[in-house]
Amino acid sequence: MKKLVPVLLLLVSCAPLRPLVMSDRVISDQQIWQNEVRISGVVRVTRQGRLTILPGTKVVFERIDRDGDGIGDAELRIEGELVARGTREQPILLTSAAADPQPGDWKFLYFDYARKAELEYLISEYAYSGVQVHFCRAQIAFSEFRYNIDGVRFSTANIRLTDSYLHHNRHGIRYEERGGKGGVRHNRISDNQIGIFAVTRGVGRTLFELNDIVDNRPYQVKMGLQQPTALDFPRNWWGDVRGLSAETVFDQRQDRALGRVTGSNPLQQPVAAIRWMKESDR
Amino acid sequence: MMKALWALTIFLVLLCSFSSSSLACVGKTLEIGTTGTVQQELLANIISELISERTGTTVKVVPFKSSDEAHAALLKADIDMYVEYTGVGQVSILKAQPLADAAELFKAVKQRYNQELNLIWLKPFGFDAAASLGVTLPAEAAPVVRKDTLKKFPALARLINKLGGKIDQQTIALLEKEATAGSPKQVAHGFLKNNRLI
Repeated sequence: MKKLVPVLLLLVSCAPLRPLVMSDRVISDQQIWQNEVRISGVVRVTRQGRLTILPGTKVVFERIDRDGDGIGDAELRIEGELVARGTREQPILLTSAAADPQPGDWKFLYFDYARKAELEYLISEYAYSGVQVHFCRAQIAFSEFRYNIDGVRFSTANIRLTDSYLHHNRHGIRYEERGGKGGVRHNRISDNQIGIFAVTRGVGRTLFELNDIVDNRPYQVKMGLQQPTALDFPRNWWGDVRGLSAETVFDQRQDRALGRVTGSNPLQQPVAAIRWMKESDR
Repeated sequence: MMKALWALTIFLVLLCSFSSSSLACVGKTLEIGTTGTVQQELLANIISELISERTGTTVKVVPFKSSDEAHAALLKADIDMYVEYTGVGQVSILKAQPLADAAELFKAVKQRYNQELNLIWLKPFGFDAAASLGVTLPAEAAPVVRKDTLKKFPALARLINKLGGKIDQQTIALLEKEATAGSPKQVAHGFLKNNRLI
């Protein structure tokens, strides 16, 4: 019997790699995803569930629009645990199944009161939100969020976002602090329409420092309608030795009900964030 | 026992404060109706862009063939708002007598819509729409919003009211001309940007 085990393992490893296909599904046990997973509905990992996604896994979301709001409805919702650690050579990819993919093809990877949220070397693209984190802790590192409406979005969360690349989204980061706190460091946030969108109830408990925040047009930082408190984004590189330009900020200067945005102690040169990424991919 | 009750109360209060509705809710899409003219397309897109840009909320513009259709959709909650004209509201929707005074007319439709239909007239944009409607009855254009939408998103009225009085006769004529030649969405965006509203 013992001799059979290696043979069986060999057979399994040589089996044709058919994608795992799922529509609406609830995961309440421990599961491991690898190779390719195709999702055409809402996959929910419950409070008791634990999902591990292995390096090199491709999670492909079909474009479905059940409520006709123009936003894809396929999503991965985590209430239990998700550990998705790729590697530099074999990142995990979350993407759209569409032949001509567009932002919003699928809804989001969504952490809601999750027990564990750990992402490393993960690429999330063509979603409404590359990732959303609410009412929990999350660690996101060495990851890339591109071609989404919101790259990374969080609310009432304790988030640690480091060494990641957020680009070509409508909002690089969109957040509602609401008592949450965290650190956003050593990231490159570039070529989004809005680099950082501080929607509401921010008081500066989420520290954005040592990031390269460049070429986000029209605004590097924008305050939402209900953000009356001033916010500082210290020690970042803004693409200019003079620091954060008022022209690239939407704050009290446009709407007196808002607080003021500052970028104190601006860096005089790039942080050289995302050094882990190949030069050709930056 | 009392300590436990206090702890539970504090927890519930905190939970409510965290989850209270704001405009930036997760996944909610607002829908604005239009009734088929360039002016309607333009005004709907101005509101849509303003909400979307200032709150991040997704807004969808939904076309209708007439005011009657849009009004019916609004009553059924198929849409959240559309731009109506005071004269049309008074005569076609409320089946009331025309009023010659613009301020009296606005006050009359606002009051009856609120009391009888649970719909709220926000501030008029500021131009006289009678000429474009081809009527003599005074007509102001203003957003009409479902009361429950405003309850869900308390900041919405304050935001949309920033457009109140911002578009005069000359401006609407120019914007309509630009929208006829190009994209109403882009014209709307440019107008809001030039007025430092987004």
